[in-house]
Amino acid sequence: MVAVRDIIITGLLLGGVFALVSVGLSLEYGVARVLNVAHGEFIMLGAFLTFWLFSSVNLNPLVSILVSGVFIFVIGWFLHSTLFRRLMDSSPSLEVFEGQSMLASFGLLYVVQNIARLIWGSQTHQVLFLSRTVTGAQIPLNRLVSLGVVIVIGGAFYFFLARTRMGKAIRASAQDPTTAGLMGVNIHTVLAICFGLGLAMAGIAGTLISTVYAIQTNMGLQYTVIAMIVVVLGGLGSISGAMIGGVILGIVSQLVTYFQPTMTFIAYYAIFIVLLLVRPKGIMGK
Amino acid sequence: MLEVNGINAGYGRIQVLWDMSVNVGEGEFVALVGANGAGKTTLLKTISGVMRPTSGSITFLGKRIEHANPNQIVNMGLSHIPESRRLFTDMSIRENLEMGAYPGRSWKIRRATMKWVFGLFPRLEERAGQLARTLSGGEQQMLAMGRGLMSRPKLVMVDEPSNGLAPLVVTEVFQILKSLHNEGITILLVEQNVRQTLAVADRAYVIENGHLALEGACRMLAASDHVRKAYLGL
Ligand SMILES: Nc1ncnc2c1ncn2[C@@H]1O[C@H](COP(=O)(O)OP(=O)(O)OP(=O)(O)O)[C@@H](O)[C@H]1O
Ligand SMILES: [Mg+2]
Repeated sequence: MVAVRDIIITGLLLGGVFALVSVGLSLEYGVARVLNVAHGEFIMLGAFLTFWLFSSVNLNPLVSILVSGVFIFVIGWFLHSTLFRRLMDSSPSLEVFEGQSMLASFGLLYVVQNIARLIWGSQTHQVLFLSRTVTGAQIPLNRLVSLGVVIVIGGAFYFFLARTRMGKAIRASAQDPTTAGLMGVNIHTVLAICFGLGLAMAGIAGTLISTVYAIQTNMGLQYTVIAMIVVVLGGLGSISGAMIGGVILGIVSQLVTYFQPTMTFIAYYAIFIVLLLVRPKGIMGK
Repeated sequence: MLEVNGINAGYGRIQVLWDMSVNVGEGEFVALVGANGAGKTTLLKTISGVMRPTSGSITFLGKRIEHANPNQIVNMGLSHIPESRRLFTDMSIRENLEMGAYPGRSWKIRRATMKWVFGLFPRLEERAGQLARTLSGGEQQMLAMGRGLMSRPKLVMVDEPSNGLAPLVVTEVFQILKSLHNEGITILLVEQNVRQTLAVADRAYVIENGHLALEGACRMLAASDHVRKAYLGL
């Protein structure tokens, strides 16, 4: 029973983190059309910012969420307003842009990863935060806190999309950017905000990951792969699909890890293939 | 109000519009007619900033807009209701209308504007919470028109609103256009339904293969031999 409870709580946490990472990629790819191969590098950046602030000025990782969220949002917004916007304006079609922006994001991957390696080296680091367990349970407090944070952020983002003017403009632009422009939406601003938000979610996920797992400067790519699986699983461009897909993959990953840790990635691909056979357009795809 | 002057435009290397000039005066109801592929939609897209002309000028309310972005143009009071509706199908009817009121000025008064739009299209109010994709073809066209009015435009360009609708609904669409015109809104209408169009509009332009073929008061055009043969089947 205790094992089952642990699997569920850790699975939900991991699922929440995967959902955050995947919703981020979904904003970058589904809306802004940048298949950002460097997505995971911003998870790494969020994790190391947290580690650095924690080990140098003893900043509480919960505060770091704000720091990495805002800082990485600005990076994303800036990257889109300069690099990706320019690529978009010079591409004759969306297909050409998708190809070029993916190549550009490969470059980004190497730049971010190498800068991080110069600063923090390639050894493993850890943020020891709330690692004591709650009385009477085996669950470390940091996992419960992270799970709470993921739920709050997910809820806040849902509210933002469903209720605010900018949130509606994002949903409209995801469906039909040209028509959103005819409604008065400045499409370049919306795409830059989406790209910034996507990276910020990766950064926040990185902060949460750093409080639970050991971190390394080469940790990013595995999360990029997971996010890509989830985004396809959820249905390309579907933000709610990415959320659901992330939670499912997180729980499955914990189940498999509990019984057979070496099989985790194989299990991801198995789910991926089976779901694509059953629902080729993804969970929420149309 | 709107002056299009010697526009050339196209897609990549293919030129579609040749030296096109169109004028719409304040309070006018002007129509653009022409066969499939004549370039009517391309002209509207060039005016609303979705496409850039390769040469020529476009002036709206005294300001040059041929290099402006669509969002700037709708902010100035020129609304483009696109061909085949282009609704946000995964959003509710209310949210589609809200998107139409996106420009800052109209966003503040969106509730009052929505009341006015619901007055024009009562069926939209009954279904306000439904997703746009669950509407019938006629209702979808009403929503597209309502959405295009939410920015409180001075001039609306409507691209083939009667396309694919049953005759009764087509008549309804034309009646609504007429009542909008009576409310003082300037209209530039693209239509294939030439007979009904010439009956409601003041003036019309006939476009053939990207060139301006004829222009004049609707009454005169309806009497011309060329229009009668080519567009009215008489
Ligand atoms: N996106 C596009 N890319 C390339 N060519 C296009 C594109 N859209 C339209 N065209 C071409 O431009 C010409 C004019 O098209 P346009 O849509 O403006 O005609 P239209 O008068 O609106 O026709 P319809 O009454 O069928 O809507 C056509 O020859 C069409 O094939
Ligand atoms: Mg057309």
